[in-house]
Amino acid sequence: MAIVNGEKTAARSAPLTETSFIGWLHKNLFSSWINAILTVVSIYIIYVAVKGIWVWGVEEAVWVAENRRECFKISKDGACWAGVIQWLENIFYGRYPRPELWRVNLGGLLLVVWMAPLWLPRVKNKIFIGLSTVFLYPFLAGYLFAGGDKGIFMQVVVSGAIICLIGNTLHTIIGVFSGGGLPENLTRLLGKTDASDQNQRNTLLAILAAAFVVVFLLQMGWTVEVVPWTKWGGMFLTLVISGIGITSALPGGIILALGRRSRLPVIRVLSTSFIELFRSVPLITILFMATTMFPLFMPEGFVLNKLVQVTIAVCLFSACYMAETVRAGLQAIPMGQYEAAHTIGLGYWGTMGLVVMPQALKHMIPNIVGSFIGLLKDTTLVSIIGLFDILGMLRSISQDVPWRGLHKEPLLFGALLFFIICFIMSKYSRHLEVKLSAGANR
Amino acid sequence: MAIRGTHDASARVKPKESFDFLHDERVRSAFYQLLTAGVVGWLIWYLVTNTAHNLEVRGMNTGFGFLSATAGFDTDFKLLEYEPGVGTYGRIFLIGCINTLLVSFLAIIASTILGFAVGVLRLSSNWLVARLALAYVEIIRNTPLLLQIIFWYVGVFALLPRVKQSLDLSAGAEVAFLNNRGLYTAWPIPGDFFWMSIVAFVIAVIGVFVLKRWAHKRQDDTGQQFPTVTASLALLFILPGMVFLATGSPLDWDVPTLQGFNFAGGAALPPAFLALLIALTIYHAAHLAESVRAGILSVNKGQTEAALALGLRPSRAMTLIIIPQAMRAIVPPMISLWMNVVKNSSLAIAIGYSDVVALFMQTALNQAGYAVEMVGMTMAFYMFISLSISGLLNIYNKRVQLVER
Amino acid sequence: MKPTSFITSVAAIAAMTFAGATVALAKSTLEIVKERGNLRCQVGTPSPGFYNLDAKGEWYGSDVSICQAVAAAIFGSKKKLEIQSVSSQVRFTALANGESDMLSRTATWTLLRDTQLGLDFTAVNFYDGQGFMVPKDSGITSALDLKGATVCVLTGTTTELNLADFSRVNKLNIKPVTFEDSNVRNDTYLNGGCDALTNDKSGLASNKAAFPNPDDHTVLPETISKEPLAPAVRQGDSQWFDIVKWTVYALVGAEELGVNKGNVDDMRANSTNASVRRMLGVEGNLHEGLGLSKDWAYNIIKEVGNYGEIYEAYMGGGKLGIGIARSGSANALWTKGGLMYSPPFR
Repeated sequence: MAIVNGEKTAARSAPLTETSFIGWLHKNLFSSWINAILTVVSIYIIYVAVKGIWVWGVEEAVWVAENRRECFKISKDGACWAGVIQWLENIFYGRYPRPELWRVNLGGLLLVVWMAPLWLPRVKNKIFIGLSTVFLYPFLAGYLFAGGDKGIFMQVVVSGAIICLIGNTLHTIIGVFSGGGLPENLTRLLGKTDASDQNQRNTLLAILAAAFVVVFLLQMGWTVEVVPWTKWGGMFLTLVISGIGITSALPGGIILALGRRSRLPVIRVLSTSFIELFRSVPLITILFMATTMFPLFMPEGFVLNKLVQVTIAVCLFSACYMAETVRAGLQAIPMGQYEAAHTIGLGYWGTMGLVVMPQALKHMIPNIVGSFIGLLKDTTLVSIIGLFDILGMLRSISQDVPWRGLHKEPLLFGALLFFIICFIMSKYSRHLEVKLSAGANR
Repeated sequence: MAIRGTHDASARVKPKESFDFLHDERVRSAFYQLLTAGVVGWLIWYLVTNTAHNLEVRGMNTGFGFLSATAGFDTDFKLLEYEPGVGTYGRIFLIGCINTLLVSFLAIIASTILGFAVGVLRLSSNWLVARLALAYVEIIRNTPLLLQIIFWYVGVFALLPRVKQSLDLSAGAEVAFLNNRGLYTAWPIPGDFFWMSIVAFVIAVIGVFVLKRWAHKRQDDTGQQFPTVTASLALLFILPGMVFLATGSPLDWDVPTLQGFNFAGGAALPPAFLALLIALTIYHAAHLAESVRAGILSVNKGQTEAALALGLRPSRAMTLIIIPQAMRAIVPPMISLWMNVVKNSSLAIAIGYSDVVALFMQTALNQAGYAVEMVGMTMAFYMFISLSISGLLNIYNKRVQLVER
Repeated sequence: MKPTSFITSVAAIAAMTFAGATVALAKSTLEIVKERGNLRCQVGTPSPGFYNLDAKGEWYGSDVSICQAVAAAIFGSKKKLEIQSVSSQVRFTALANGESDMLSRTATWTLLRDTQLGLDFTAVNFYDGQGFMVPKDSGITSALDLKGATVCVLTGTTTELNLADFSRVNKLNIKPVTFEDSNVRNDTYLNGGCDALTNDKSGLASNKAAFPNPDDHTVLPETISKEPLAPAVRQGDSQWFDIVKWTVYALVGAEELGVNKGNVDDMRANSTNASVRRMLGVEGNLHEGLGLSKDWAYNIIKEVGNYGEIYEAYMGGGKLGIGIARSGSANALWTKGGLMYSPPFR
């Protein structure tokens, strides 16, 4: 015998603790008396902090003024943002000549255009795009920023970079709208789809060569005015130094990490001691060493400017930190991968370059983004040497006669700027981490 | 089976090994190593000769003789006896090193405690507290430390009262004062028989260890618990206290008093020191909080559930079950964080705390020259400290690995 | 790795090492500067009155004007100048290394620096001296009242040494509180973090002017040190030393002779004063010894102005000036009781 209830039981609504606001409050904020006290204390802290910042930074603040005296006249208890606003160009571009600012902006824009395909789902050959960003973009941007006469080497690299940029962009557009890549579409366009592989490749190479010649001839007439390094500054300089630091850190770090894991004792010992040497001292001492000792290392008459000295120091520093990141990445690759690679007859460089590194690098991306954030923050130390990076500029405002003594507002502005940039990047790196590990677990 | 026998490896004729010089593994590895060693050696020789030549051409002084030369400047914070015009550069170096070590040591302790607290708060069931902890961690981690140090220096010490209106931290006892010139506290001056109290204290500490082992053993054997904490505290306080009283309270206090412009007597910590300490603590605690959180999350959830099922209170479950297991994931990043504290204390240069970089590599270098020697000595100091700490890490890692099955 | 790529890599390494080893031939500084087409002049991190950045990113200040004057003397244009700013920690090494051609920054001329750092100081362009500033309501009227006081001071400068000396000699037991950043030092002082603030008097004046209530503070009468500030050059190039030295003298001499930016063209054309005619290159061959063009001094005055004009603009009451009175100070002309004196142009 069975008692069957023919009617469906009506769905009960969720308990009050789960749906109502009061219920949420009770569960999340006042579940016990300790929690209640903590909540009250937290609310008080938030109230005091927010109110203080609001009154000083917004309510009582002065936004428009000619100099600091005027700020004082308008309001003595508020921030004087007028000085920061007047100095915005200095803060972002340093002393870069104002009519030439488009070059910096264009450089930034090119980077975005260059790297954007890496995030677009339907684009192929992302590795090539990524490599070209690391190896070609810096030269194009470097010329754009520094200007002057191009040597023959620079002409070749700049032409290469321009072609690569155009190619990348076309490839991306084609990829997004119709799928496939630039090479296939070119072959199709020329009606050579049926030709042999060799023929296809030769045609493509010919097109590439022709394009190179055209671009090379065109760029010969293109020069931009010289902007000496002393005029570089602000956020721009900070990004340039940390950008060079992180791009050169990658190859440097890989070499050092491989050296540290090498079976050859001499190479291992040298790499290890180099890494440990630079990791065990603060960046500021390395910068001091760069500025006081590098010039002594150079042969007489061979002069490096401050920017180069500092950049070399930052590169050495970040390469050693990157080496440890790479080493951690390499350790995560299971032994089976090495053995499998050996079995199919790959040598040391083949194993590393074709099998191990690509896997390890993919997993290192979040850490690399993390290192970049760290480096970006550490780069502010170059202001101690006297370079006008963003912190140097922010601290100079207070010395400008009209704005004499204005130093809290610029620092807060800088902190906010850094927070926005670093926060976005760190969120992104965490997102990547989740995404990549999800892929690995599938 | 018979087939396999015919193909036995030992029975196979070994092909005659042709010795290809270029492709031989040993030759190549030896060659690579020789080449690297040669290049590095040549590079070092090249740099050294250049440096020697440049120093000579520029007429710059060299050698370590300056360490015994007298330095003409003073420093506002020193733990060693020093007088300008009498003390030497060698002494300046020592003062700088000790100052660095002092601020790093205190910052390491404070940031470890704060970091653990915030890390646990990040996982709090209280929504607001968890969010507040998150905001703290994110804000601190995403702004440069240099900016933060300057901020604490400029911002916080502007809020403290002036000398005449000092805050009395000892609530009316007038032995500890905080004002915008720093922290002033009473300082003990030991008397004749004070060493006996110290000996008593040491004995008490040893006693606590013995007690703990005994209690542990008893619990293992009989299951009975012993109130170790109460007993230890009693031992620690009563034994030295009795000896102290028996020897006639041989301890005087040097109490800071307001004389003229300033407090005189007692111990004083300058604002730069406090600002640096606060900034280093807050910055590294935020980083440690993330490691702690990750460490706790790495412990299997089943562990918590099992602990709760056994009837342990959540706080006991945390301290007895979760944290000990999480430590394995927390300690390595924590120790490298300690290294960072020492290294980052060098940013004191921005606010003028007399650490080894500011005092020796900046002020002394500016006054006397000797760039190579001074930068070298400073780097060697940091290297020594960092390598000692990473040695500690290696020891820990070895121990943890032994425990692993 | 194939043997071929193996050998090429060895060759590449060898090539790299020797490429770095090329040595430039020794040339005189003037030749190097002319060849490069601009003057590299080193100033410090911004310091009011001496060298400052404005919101447009341009340098201005009295020491910057010295740089401009040297550029004008060599090239006839003050624009052919690359200003390098270096923090005080590395100021002398940057000059000694050849990164810059000259140093025009607040570096006090001392025997030790002149003899042991591989550089030569040229001619004094500003006489400074260290003093103290105290709040008016403290009732202090003399530096000798500062017994046991805490004094805010910048680190890594002669200021710190002078304070220690002053305290020791007068048995004042002054406690220095050192700072890296002058803003933090000033804020600490304003908040009562120290009883007095010590700095060069020029610096005190500019600090005071920037306080919310400048009249609440007073500069004590004592000057406890001599701080002659002079441009410096690398040791061992006497022609270059002369050029920089005589550029400073030309600025002072022009003021003595009444030549300024406004009347220099007129003076060159119509002056009958033999000294003026020799200085501006109308008569004689004074330029030959310096290796410059005939109108070098004319260019200086035309482009930059004379010493008095520079002082008024950046140190005195000009719009960008920091308001230090000149009359009666050591920086007045010798004819007005000061120390500014140019050797004769003949």
